Amino acid sequence: MTAPLLTVHDLVVRYKTRGLFAAAAKPAVDRVSLSLPAGSTLGLVGESGSGKSSLLRAVLRLVPVESGSITVDGQDWLAIHGPALRRARHSIGFVAQNPFLSLSPRLTIAQILAEPLLARGDKPGAAMQDRIAVLLSRCGLPLDFLPRRARELSGGQAQRVAIARALALSPRLLVLDEPTSALDVSVQAQILNLLMDLKADFGLSLLFVTHNLKVVAHLADQLMVMRHGCVVEAGATEKVMTAPEQSYTRELMGFGQRFGHDAKP
Amino acid sequence: MRCATVKGTSAVTLLDLQGLSVTIPSQAGPVRAVRSIDLRIAKGEIHCLIGESGCGKTMTGMALLGLTPAGAQVAARVFQFDGIALSTSAAALRGRRIALISQDPAAALNPVLTIGRQMDDVLRTHSPHSKADRRAGAVALLAATGLPDADKLMTSYPHQLSGGMQQRVVIAQALATGADFLIADEPTTALDVTVGAQVLALLRQLVADRGLTVLMITHDMDVVAAVCDRATVLYAGLSVETGLASAILTRPRHPYAKALLAALPDAAPHGQRLAAIDGQIPPSTKAISGCAFAPRCPAAMTLCYTVPPPARVQGDHLWACHLAEGAP
Repeated sequence: MTAPLLTVHDLVVRYKTRGLFAAAAKPAVDRVSLSLPAGSTLGLVGESGSGKSSLLRAVLRLVPVESGSITVDGQDWLAIHGPALRRARHSIGFVAQNPFLSLSPRLTIAQILAEPLLARGDKPGAAMQDRIAVLLSRCGLPLDFLPRRARELSGGQAQRVAIARALALSPRLLVLDEPTSALDVSVQAQILNLLMDLKADFGLSLLFVTHNLKVVAHLADQLMVMRHGCVVEAGATEKVMTAPEQSYTRELMGFGQRFGHDAKP
Repeated sequence: MRCATVKGTSAVTLLDLQGLSVTIPSQAGPVRAVRSIDLRIAKGEIHCLIGESGCGKTMTGMALLGLTPAGAQVAARVFQFDGIALSTSAAALRGRRIALISQDPAAALNPVLTIGRQMDDVLRTHSPHSKADRRAGAVALLAATGLPDADKLMTSYPHQLSGGMQQRVVIAQALATGADFLIADEPTTALDVTVGAQVLALLRQLVADRGLTVLMITHDMDVVAAVCDRATVLYAGLSVETGLASAILTRPRHPYAKALLAALPDAAPHGQRLAAIDGQIPPSTKAISGCAFAPRCPAAMTLCYTVPPPARVQGDHLWACHLAEGAP
């Protein structure tokens, strides 16, 4: 097994409560640890309020961390600040749930894909055009999409653009927050296939956050189930799916077994 | 309260739709939101309308409620609810016999009124009882949906309730109308999985206890498997397959239904590529000659592009396909 790309140890995230005498809020993430080996996929599953999004935001350095440590590629991730953090962030790509909210409605697809490259300091020119074309076709979209805007695309096509943008700076880790929850079943299958291809081609590690256990179980090597800020169950996907230790994990699997009509009295 | 019908002994058709179409004029030409949908629902049954975005499932529900957009043309060969013509009486039946449970309970409830006031709004419209009787009725209905402390809840506002509790209030409101036919439009999509399972269990229980009939609109096969007796699969505004829910889930006949089930993440072995459906649904502004699914169908023949598929019947399982035995 290769060295872990992302390690989280005893992480606590707590949001401030208002008022001088208010009791300290319960932590949104309570002493969570995880380890994501390079080139593998971790599925992080939980319902509303489970702390999965707070954990993800802490990894992206979008919320302050109360205690614990995060290591990315051997670096103390929480010790990096300012311009150095800006550079270090190139190694993490992010895909949000709703592509129509995460893609600017005013920019063309070409401009959307150029943004991260320009932000890094690349000069516009033929090399950048080539890079954009490669990104787009790698995500399964034809080049005549470049002058279009997000609203002219279907949900699945727009999510492909969001994934292409996340890959623009050749990250080693891709963080996905419910990337298929806003999509239809048949489109979801296309996006999951694309993610599996990209992972294999670029040796990416994926941190896949979702409330849908079945979706992430399909492509994750490891699963982690969160509830009320804590890790309820963690382990290899097959083990968690076939022999979950917690009844809560079984509940998350959905309404009964696959098409067995078992849930009916 | 109406008598509960026993499953299997009653086959009284409550809702009968044949050839329903909804066409909405637009600048780009007529939008065929619903092209031709057949739907027959027996009393006491939970019937699922399965389909992806743009297949016309929500518009079908709106047509039953008489809530199609202004200017929309609704046509059908048969359009009846309990022997009453819906073409003229949909608005009159809405909120009396037919009620809607929408996807997002937070949007269905008024944020500035208490739950008690919102329950009373419904009861006042539908019953001549005194204020005290209506209050008792509202508390009883809230309790019937499994809400704890129903009495205390009357003075609460929607934002003080969780999503699952809000959806229970919406269901209580639907019951308050006295309706015996509920249209549930993706009632669990906005809820967490465990909460959604509880809401589905509640709906099943209400169907059994009160003899309700439910049209469940969903794209989630787990919902179909968990609560539905029968199901109809829609594609591009057409009903393409109908039958027992268990039969459709285990042995779909229409190539689209088969492809849809094969695209689910748990249909393929771990880490293997999923059977995604190539292509896209035809635009609703375009007229269709032949089978609507032909351009995406792995088994399509020349015939499929030009001739509308015939109806195939096997017992009470119906589908529309040129292949006599259905999807291979």
